[in-house]
Amino acid sequence: MILAPVEYCRPDTVDEALEALNSSPDARALAGGQSLINVLKMRAAAVDLLVDISRLEELKGIVRHDDGTLEIGAGVTYAELAESDLLGGDPRAIAEVAADTVDPQVRHRGTIGGNVCHADPINNFPPLMVALGATMHVVGPDGAARDIPAEEFFTGFFTTAVEDGELLKSITVPALADGTAVGYVDLEIGEAAARAVAVVRTEDDQIAEAKLVIGCLPVPTRRPEVEAALVGTAVTEAAVAEATAAAADGVEPLSDADATAEYRKAVIPVVAKRAVLAAAKGGHRG
Amino acid sequence: MDRSDTFDIEFTLNGEAVAATVPARRLLIHFLRDDLDLTGPKIGCDTGHCGACTVLYNGRTIKSCMMLAVQADGATIETVEALAADGEMTPVQQAFHEHHALQCGYCTSGMVMSATYLLEKNPSPSPEEIREGLRGNLCRCTGYVNIVEAVAAAAGKETSA
Repeated sequence: MILAPVEYCRPDTVDEALEALNSSPDARALAGGQSLINVLKMRAAAVDLLVDISRLEELKGIVRHDDGTLEIGAGVTYAELAESDLLGGDPRAIAEVAADTVDPQVRHRGTIGGNVCHADPINNFPPLMVALGATMHVVGPDGAARDIPAEEFFTGFFTTAVEDGELLKSITVPALADGTAVGYVDLEIGEAAARAVAVVRTEDDQIAEAKLVIGCLPVPTRRPEVEAALVGTAVTEAAVAEATAAAADGVEPLSDADATAEYRKAVIPVVAKRAVLAAAKGGHRG
Repeated sequence: MDRSDTFDIEFTLNGEAVAATVPARRLLIHFLRDDLDLTGPKIGCDTGHCGACTVLYNGRTIKSCMMLAVQADGATIETVEALAADGEMTPVQQAFHEHHALQCGYCTSGMVMSATYLLEKNPSPSPEEIREGLRGNLCRCTGYVNIVEAVAAAAGKETSA
């Protein structure tokens, strides 16, 4: 397919990129392009200027800070995440999810920043970022900077808190507390039918603390009632199944070519149970 | 910082320096096939799923239907045409030939590029690792068994896959 006529520029710095993004209301940042190029092919967005941020070194770093917090540049590719030595420790889930993203060619180009900013409901990183309590660092013109908790970052279907003329610069992920592990489960039918991420701390074979986020919904959604029901639960399939039975209550999944909303509602408790069990058993993938 | 709808680019293509003028909207695959006459990379799905357009970009496999030609500026690009440049098939190509790893052949250049990249990174992959390495390449003839056998053979290993 041939793209509509468009202008292009390749800034050398984040400041230059912000200047370009603010030069037109229809300017868009082009990172790995693994979603945006398809959007342009379908002419689903009016874009008059592509601001190529894929080579910006300022967006490329993966840094482990002294307090254990991990800072990931928005332009880091899935392949770079999967191969990073810094992700050897917790939260290992980030590297595992990156390594399992789509296929090698997409992992060589696609970026974590593009993944969360595109905010396709079926994308894999949004629910993980919410579950890990990540903070999104967004920059704007004239030195403006905002820190947005992941839980407030995803505001709707393909929509985030990043405003026109702003750019996601990096994501920080706090270190996991002792005894805490991440469980990540998806049901891959087509692209993805259902996805759940659990962060669980166990004490004496009981769940002491739990966070549960459901993906493949218009926005990644925490389930506070289920989280409360999980506390004090024994780490057995029956007990966890009972506590996660209400995981789909009140949510409104999408119907698409991969799965109907009804089907998604039926399988959400299943992936939720598996994610909690995987996390409670110290593993990552259920 | 230039902002334009047309760019002069320079890059290395299959070992040779290339200079060209490209419209900003031109996809890399169209540039390779239509402007440079390199028809090894194919357009299959044109949505980044099938991998028939796979080429190496700075040494890593990418789908050339998911990149702009202007993004090749300063890069090193290798297409399937680079593999048998001296007229001799590479071990991967030879193995595809011997193991009947192609039927209609449309996916082959992409498969060969992904297989070549895989073996560079992992010289003795398991059948599972071969399948994972080829996950971004679809064969509509569904001839995957022979393809996996060919890649294993190229790696110097036999498999019952």
